[in-house]
Amino acid sequence: MRRLLLRLAAIAALSLAAPGLTAGAASRFSIEDYSAPKVKDLYLVIIRDPDAQLMALQNGQADILGDIQRPVDVDRLADDPNVNLSLAAGFHGFFLGFNNRSFPWDRVELRRAAWQALPREQIVRDLFAGYAEPLSTFLPHVSPYYEPSVRAYPYDPDAARRSLADAGWTLDGDGVLVSPDGSRVPAQKLLCPTASVAPTTAELASRAADALSAIGIPTSTEPMDFSAMLSRIDERDFQMYVLAWQMTRDPDSLYALYSSKMDIPGGSNLPGISNPELDAVLNRLRFAPDATTALDAASDAQALLAELAPVAPIYSRYSVSAVRRDWKGVLVTDRVTADNIWSLLSMEPASGPMRPLYLVQEEEPRALNPFTSTSAYDWQVMGLVYDSLIAVDPYTLETIPWLAKSWKVETEDDGDGPHTVLTFLLREGARWHDGRPLTSRDAAFTYEFLMKNRPPRYFDNVDNIALVETPDDATLVVTMKNVSFWHLHRIGGLPILPAHLLERVSDWRSWLPASERHPDDPSLTLMTGSGPFVLREYRPGEYVHLTGNGDFWLGRR
Amino acid sequence: MSYWARRVSGAALVLGMVLALNFALFRMMPGDPVTSVMDPDFSPEARERLRQVYGLDRPLYAQFALYVKSTLSFDFGVSFLTGRPVADELRSRVPNTAALLGTSLLLSASLGTWLGMKAALRRGSLLERCVLWSGALSFSFPSFFVQLVLLMALASALPLFPLRGSLSVPPPEGGWGFALDYVHHLALPVLSLTLLGFGGWAIYVRNLAVKVMGEDFILMARARGLPRRRILLGHVFRTMLPTLLTLLLMSLPGVVSGAVITETVFSLHGVGRFLLEAVTGHDYPAAGAAFFLLSLLTVACNLLADLLYSVVDPRVRLDRSAR
Repeated sequence: MRRLLLRLAAIAALSLAAPGLTAGAASRFSIEDYSAPKVKDLYLVIIRDPDAQLMALQNGQADILGDIQRPVDVDRLADDPNVNLSLAAGFHGFFLGFNNRSFPWDRVELRRAAWQALPREQIVRDLFAGYAEPLSTFLPHVSPYYEPSVRAYPYDPDAARRSLADAGWTLDGDGVLVSPDGSRVPAQKLLCPTASVAPTTAELASRAADALSAIGIPTSTEPMDFSAMLSRIDERDFQMYVLAWQMTRDPDSLYALYSSKMDIPGGSNLPGISNPELDAVLNRLRFAPDATTALDAASDAQALLAELAPVAPIYSRYSVSAVRRDWKGVLVTDRVTADNIWSLLSMEPASGPMRPLYLVQEEEPRALNPFTSTSAYDWQVMGLVYDSLIAVDPYTLETIPWLAKSWKVETEDDGDGPHTVLTFLLREGARWHDGRPLTSRDAAFTYEFLMKNRPPRYFDNVDNIALVETPDDATLVVTMKNVSFWHLHRIGGLPILPAHLLERVSDWRSWLPASERHPDDPSLTLMTGSGPFVLREYRPGEYVHLTGNGDFWLGRR
Repeated sequence: MSYWARRVSGAALVLGMVLALNFALFRMMPGDPVTSVMDPDFSPEARERLRQVYGLDRPLYAQFALYVKSTLSFDFGVSFLTGRPVADELRSRVPNTAALLGTSLLLSASLGTWLGMKAALRRGSLLERCVLWSGALSFSFPSFFVQLVLLMALASALPLFPLRGSLSVPPPEGGWGFALDYVHHLALPVLSLTLLGFGGWAIYVRNLAVKVMGEDFILMARARGLPRRRILLGHVFRTMLPTLLTLLLMSLPGVVSGAVITETVFSLHGVGRFLLEAVTGHDYPAAGAAFFLLSLLTVACNLLADLLYSVVDPRVRLDRSAR
């Protein structure tokens, strides 16, 4: 019964693709309802094997398990009376890419027909047992900038054939499409990973190849090592490929993915779409001065992308996580699963005395270096230790206050051209884990450190900063070189580090703050932040031990 | 040039070739550490900066010089993937891998040799059939299957052993408690590898012993009325010993290269996964260091095997000095 309900929840999530989930939607969420963590000890236990992860959760050796990927595991946990499952749609998107630079994929009608020929619903049903949703848009529906009125191409191979015939395409004796100017579609290779590495993706590619062949595009898969595949795509040496993207809540990633300015070496416009109208809209989106302009440009961009079909969206994977029922205070929304910061702040045993909370960490944190780490597993730890100025509303995904209690985004023009000025007002009483007060000077020092050293991870965040000022201990003013509403997220989302420790860092590349003791307090490491949890110990390969920050600026209740 | 001088200079030549091949092969693989960063929020300028940080913007000869210097000084540089010194990464992982695979190699070799000898001595008996069948079964099953079944049976359904890692969370205080906890955690992975490994040894030893026992000098020893124990240890086993030593020593590099699947199933912090991730993630410093050390170990084991040959079989030394 629970399995059935869970599948129904997955289907219900599909119907969330509806108006109302746009920027500006009212949230019932208030940060003031939260306080310092209730748990005293939090262990992030490293368990790599998915079966061992499940056993640990079911045996009570772990309390939270996030990112459950295999449908069979979801079904197994759905039958467990001691476990609560949560499911949320996310920003994952899986696409079939076409090389728009050359024949036949430079013909828009062929790309649209290919999109229409893909049996997305059946793929999701067969390969993901319903725990994914067919994707027909360029932004997932959970995005605050999702445009629900955008036209998609439902699966209809007959309609695809008709539209091609209407556009003058014919079939030759072998059933292969011939363009109106007489060019026969050559045999197409679809790059995909090997079945031994990514069985689901390989099977999906095989089905896509069959679907395209059925409408007259002779396609076969070319399985290869994933690195080799990425290399071929990066060098633009392909006809088609399948690839997933993990997008963010900001739609300006559409600029990186589809602007012709990004069809350069190292750029992310892999399909090579080049359309002046699209470029203009994406430029408007990238450099939108305010939320209204951004929303408008995002809608236009989605509509144009659906018309141009540079790639064909296929599916988006759900996030699934599980929590043992002997804990209460878990926050779950249709956009975040149970393993989120708000849950960790408020979780406590459903009965009995306080006990440590065990969260499964699926992989080893790699460096635990805030300057170099790009792994989600590193940030699962560092995100609990370091604060940024802003946070994300778990219901609407809009920006909400965190270390900054308020902010202003203004456009100024003092003769050098218009530019964005961000003014953040920091909370009073925030302190570092070692007891020193946190001021705007710490934030300024962090930004200046990043500007000076230019770690690749933050290169794009700080590249446009012109000036950082601290008129007083609570105010931070960041002047940008150009205008963009997204500067708020790029700057406000940066982790803030303590200036008194950061000034001692001689080589940011090899800095390992979790492995070195704090000079004044041996119970701390150099990974000293202001966040809700304090890092106590990282034992490589085993666990990360954190304790609740009793002096967290949200206070105790 | 003496025999040992020839052998050592040959080994040095092999290591030099490995050093050069390590550098060239990883760079000839499709893609590089920067190509694999596919992220729309990572601009072409940021990727170029990453290339600079990794030192990949330098000319190849400069990269090679740096690589040779860091390898020969056993410094190995900083891992691209983890940002930690490669030497530290290996230091933290080798003990687990060596304890896991070293113990299981010794146990499976000992158990396999003992069972193989027993089977050879009782040809046609039920014992021999059991050894042959269990041996065949032992190395026919895929390791992930056996290990998952053991994990489900002995760590989950019947919680005799821990599910993961090499220590409890948090580990017990005190030296003995800590050591016992470590042994307790490694017991199931060692058991699984021993079960998977003894069969090959048992069948090999049984076949070798049967062959040796059919030799004329064994018949002669029997005819002279030598005690059975003396024939077995002093003649049969001693004749087999050089071959078994070679097999054991040649298995040692595998001990350090690790067992990726075992480390994954039991969530162990070992070299195997590190090596796999280094290769698939184009982590040139880590992969280069690991393969160089493996080559070094292989060459050292080869030399050691030669040395031990001359100890257990004096004819080897005589033959060489006669040349």
